[in-house]
Amino acid sequence: MASVSFSRIEKSFGATKVLHGISLDIADGEFMVLVGPSGCGKSTLLRMLAGLEDIGAGEIAIDGRVVNELDSKDRDIAMVFQSYALYPHMTVRDNMGFSLKLRKENRRKIAEGVSRAAKILNLDPYLDRYPRELSGGQRQRVAMGRAIVRDPKVFLFDEPLSNLDAKLRVAMRAEIKALHQRLKTTTVYVTHDQVEAMTMADRIAVMNEGRIEQLGEPLELYDRPDNLFVAQFIGSPAMNVFEGVYSNGMVQALGAYWPCEVKAQEGQRVAYGIRPEHLTLKEGGITAQIEVVEPMGAETETLVKVGGQNLTMMTHGRSKVGPGERVFLAPQPAQVHLFDAASGRRIG
Amino acid sequence: MTNRKLLSEAKLWLVAIPVLLWTLIPIYHIFLFSISTKDSAFSGRLWPDHPTLRNFGTVFRQEHFYLHHFWSQIWNSLWIAVATGMITLTVATCAAFAISRLKVKGGRTVMNAALFTYFIPAAFLAVPMYKAMGTYGLLNSRWSLVLAMVTLASPYAIWVLKQASDKLPWELDEAARIDGATPAQLFRLVYLPLMVPSLVAIFTYALLLAWNEYLYAFLLLSHENTIPLAVGLGHFLASDDSPWEILMATALIYGLPPVAIYYAFRGYMVGGLTSGAVKA
Repeated sequence: MASVSFSRIEKSFGATKVLHGISLDIADGEFMVLVGPSGCGKSTLLRMLAGLEDIGAGEIAIDGRVVNELDSKDRDIAMVFQSYALYPHMTVRDNMGFSLKLRKENRRKIAEGVSRAAKILNLDPYLDRYPRELSGGQRQRVAMGRAIVRDPKVFLFDEPLSNLDAKLRVAMRAEIKALHQRLKTTTVYVTHDQVEAMTMADRIAVMNEGRIEQLGEPLELYDRPDNLFVAQFIGSPAMNVFEGVYSNGMVQALGAYWPCEVKAQEGQRVAYGIRPEHLTLKEGGITAQIEVVEPMGAETETLVKVGGQNLTMMTHGRSKVGPGERVFLAPQPAQVHLFDAASGRRIG
Repeated sequence: MTNRKLLSEAKLWLVAIPVLLWTLIPIYHIFLFSISTKDSAFSGRLWPDHPTLRNFGTVFRQEHFYLHHFWSQIWNSLWIAVATGMITLTVATCAAFAISRLKVKGGRTVMNAALFTYFIPAAFLAVPMYKAMGTYGLLNSRWSLVLAMVTLASPYAIWVLKQASDKLPWELDEAARIDGATPAQLFRLVYLPLMVPSLVAIFTYALLLAWNEYLYAFLLLSHENTIPLAVGLGHFLASDDSPWEILMATALIYGLPPVAIYYAFRGYMVGGLTSGAVKA
């Protein structure tokens, strides 16, 4: 196990700068998730940590040792790729033991290492199969097994679940989380899926356009997003956001007055943010029209229209209203987020 | 079957039948001559009155003036073909690995320059090649032909292997690097096993190219003991009264190894030589 430290990391591809001075400290044994949209630089940062990408500027340290000039193999890391990257001509056993074989470990030690990892991941029955004879989930487990066998200081995951179907993704998510709890190895996990980030991370770094927008624990990001980007990126369905003018404890927007507890300057243009589960129906509230009702069993997602803008509402249980009906919305004032409309920064 | 399908099939047959005849008639002619006696070879019949295998016996026992070196010449053909195949394969595999996987600077330029040499007809290169081999004292050595054939086969071989190797997922190299593989280990333990189909195809291609070569063999080798059988066959035509039935029997024997090789590796040939023809 080891800590990882990024210090003022920069990277350019030709004239395009993709990372703008990233600094990030990951504690020993921590599960850190880098999340952000495509092209935000999260995979590049991970690949720099893995030694697969040159470091433009700054320093990366693993366990206090700067690794900028070290080869991948000397960094004591293991990586799980999105495409599994299993050697197609080797059996599961050979795939998992490959790194030990290269280290010239003796056969007994290789067999022990493979057997230990296979037990952890329930891969025993598949050890003599080839990757092509395995399902997607099994392949991903082999890729993880290959990483475990190395017994590295840091695990790196580069969107490992993106190629799996939705059901398998949920199952593998739990497996990776359980694996981390068991091995307590420092883990850096890259994903564009904020649900994965929220459910797995000890801390999340939300990235956008080569910068970290916010770093924090999952619920901290959810409850107190620093800016509009994080507010809209974290949470599914996404936070409802619309612009208006703050006046006397209310925000005037979409032809109505929206309550909030946060104080802004009188007349300030703000972005009003409210999560779907914090919008309820109440007589005397803001007039809205139901557009679509999506029952999901335990919850119902409802799309309503107010002043020409669609808002999402999430309610527990079944919906008693249908499309086309007029309803009254009541936002919970304590749960409202205000952002400066110009800068996108959080107010209050 | 719809009319349209019928029409398209008919068009296919219209092309296929002449092509098939064009290919098979000369082969049948060779076969016909090889099982005919000298008197009946030119009878014009589609099947000889007294088919015989005596011509093959004459060839194998080297009983004819032109065939006194038959076994040494066929051995030369085999030696030259295998050596050409092996060296071309080694050169092209290393080059393709360096260009495609190690991304060596200038690698693509070198490959394109090599391919550019195909714009120059082989006959044009024959005289400079002769001069070069003479300079290095290689004339009349089997190595001269091997080196010439490797020169001719390599650009295409590099290109095919480079295209095939571009298709291997890049993550495999990265995974191997993280696992601790050096470039040499990556080449030996990951790259070569995954390239086997293309490697077989290229080996076969170079081997057949050298086996079938006449011009360079004729030019660079002149001693009876060093020439391949292709040149030896040419000697039959030196006299006015050529023994056609024996020439054809020898030609048939000479033609069999390529057929066997092609048949054995046909799967690799089709898959390997067309790999990279289109971007996947």
